[in-house]
Amino acid sequence: MVTDLSDHTIEITSRFSGTELLIFGAIERGIPQDDGGHGVVVEGMDYDIIVVVQSERHDMIIRRKEPLGPIWVNKENKILKNMPGFYALTSTRPIDLILSDKKLNKMDIGLQQLKIEFDYSISEEEKENFRDGFIRNMKARKLYNQHEGMVSILDGILFRAILEFPANMPVGNYDVDVYLIRNGKIILTAQSPLEVDKAGLERLIYVFAHNYSKLYGILAIVIALFAGWLAGFLSKKVNG
Amino acid sequence: MQIYLPIAEVSINIFLLFFMGGGVGFLCGMFGVGGGFLMTPLLIFIGIPPAVSVATVANQITAASVSGAIAHARRGGIDYKMGIVLILGGAVGSYFGSMIFTILKATGQVDLMISLAYVIFLGSIGGMMFVESVRSILRNRRGEKVKVGRRQRTWVDALPFKMRFRASKMYVSAVLPLSIGGLVGVLAAIMGVGGGFIMVPAMIYLLNMPINVVIGTSLFQITFVTASVTYLHSVHTQTVDIMLALILLVSSVIGAQFGAKVGQKLKGEQLRILLALMVLAVCAKMGFDLAVEPDELYSVVSVGGIH
Repeated sequence: MVTDLSDHTIEITSRFSGTELLIFGAIERGIPQDDGGHGVVVEGMDYDIIVVVQSERHDMIIRRKEPLGPIWVNKENKILKNMPGFYALTSTRPIDLILSDKKLNKMDIGLQQLKIEFDYSISEEEKENFRDGFIRNMKARKLYNQHEGMVSILDGILFRAILEFPANMPVGNYDVDVYLIRNGKIILTAQSPLEVDKAGLERLIYVFAHNYSKLYGILAIVIALFAGWLAGFLSKKVNG
Repeated sequence: MQIYLPIAEVSINIFLLFFMGGGVGFLCGMFGVGGGFLMTPLLIFIGIPPAVSVATVANQITAASVSGAIAHARRGGIDYKMGIVLILGGAVGSYFGSMIFTILKATGQVDLMISLAYVIFLGSIGGMMFVESVRSILRNRRGEKVKVGRRQRTWVDALPFKMRFRASKMYVSAVLPLSIGGLVGVLAAIMGVGGGFIMVPAMIYLLNMPINVVIGTSLFQITFVTASVTYLHSVHTQTVDIMLALILLVSSVIGAQFGAKVGQKLKGEQLRILLALMVLAVCAKMGFDLAVEPDELYSVVSVGGIH
C-alpha cells in the first residue's frame, strides 16, 4: 500500500480560514482477493480503510462551571495528560463494522476509544462526565471529528479521503495513519507526517510575541504612539 | 473576508472588525469618551478571548489617547506635574492589575473577573450617569439653575504630603492623585479601559481641578498607563494582538471623525442619557451571560507546548 497527502505542510497565514487535505493512496494488487471469507461485501469493496489524523499530544486543562450564588463560575478542574489537540477520523464504513471493539480499543482507533488519563483518581461517574465534556468541547470547536464512510475506494485499488481542518487547528507535528483492514484484521498501516505551522506575518508576530516578549511590548507601544500621532496629524489635515 | 489573528488565534471577518471599530470610534467621537469600556466587551461578544481583548484594547487606547494628549499639550491643557503623580500611581496600579490578571489567567478565573469588573463598574457608572442626566433634564424643564458655590473644605484637605500644582493652581495632598492613578492603572490592566470615566469625575469632584486641564491631563496619564499595561501584558501573558490593535485603531479613528460631527448637533443631556443607556446595556448583557446557565459547562485549554 502506498499513501500520500496533497500537502505535507499546512501554513496558517492571515487569510487562513481552515483548509482541506486530500489523503490518497493505492493498494497493491499483490494481496490475494479471492478468499471471499469476510462476509460483508459492499459493491465489490474488498478492503476497508481507516484514516486517523492527530496532532502532537499535550496536557490540557478541563474546567467545569458550577453555580456560585447568582452566577456561574469555573470551579472543578482536571488536568488531562497527553491529549491530541486535533483528532480526525474517517473510514470506508462505520468503524465498529470494520473492526471489533477489542481491536479498536487495542489500537486506540476512534474517539470512543480515545484514552483519557486523569491526573488523580476520581469517581468513575465523574470521569465519564469530564470525558464527555471534553469530547463535546473539542467537537464543538471542530478540533475532534469522526466522519465515518467518507473514504472512497476506486476499482478496489485506489482510495481517497478529504479531511477538513478548522482555522483554530493547533500548530505542530501531526501524524496521518492509514489502516488497511480486511476480515477484521489490520493488514497494513502507513504513516505520513504532516506539519502545521503559522507562516508569513502571522508566524513572525506569534514567534516574536512569545520569544521576545519585552521587545514585542515595546514595539506595540511604539506602533501605537506613532499611529496615534499620525491619525491626529491626518485628521487635522482633513478637517483643515 | 476572513482574517486570522495571530495572537487571538481566531479567524474573523475583517469587515466585522472594521465595522465594530468604526462604530465604537463613532460613539467615542460623539460622546468624547475613550471607548475601551465598549470595545473590550464587543470583542469578547464576537469571540475574541477575553484576555486578548483586554490587553489589545489597552494597546489601541494608547494610540487613541496620544493624539488627544498632543492636541491638549499644544494649547497648554496638561498639568504635567499632576500627570506624573497620576502616572506614578498608574504604574503601580497597572503592575498589580497585571499580576492579578496573570494569576487569574493561570487558574482559569480571568474571564470571570473581567465580566464581574465590567458589571460592577459599568452598572454603577451607567446608573449614576443616567440618574444625573435625567435630573438635569428635569431641572432644565422646570427652569431651575444649578447653584455653583465655593467648594467646602472636606476630608481631602486633611490628607498629608501636600504638593503644589502650578498649572492647576492647587495645593493638595499627593495621596489622592496617587490613589486615583493607582485605581485607574488596576482597571486599565484588568478591564482594558483607559479609565477616563473614573479619572475625569474624580479629578473634577474630588481634586477640584480646573476643567481646562482635566481632559488633557487625564489623556496624558492614560497614554502612559495603557502603554505600561501593553508592556506588562505582552511580557506576562502574551495577549497583545498587534494586528487586531491596528485594525481597531484605523477604523476607530475614521469613525471618530464622523461621530464628532454628529455629537455637535446633539444636546449635552441627551448625549449623556444615550451614553448611560449604552453603558447599562453592555453591563446588562455581561451580567446576563454570567447569570444564565451556560450551554456548555465544560471548557478546555491546552497547557503544554506552543499552541
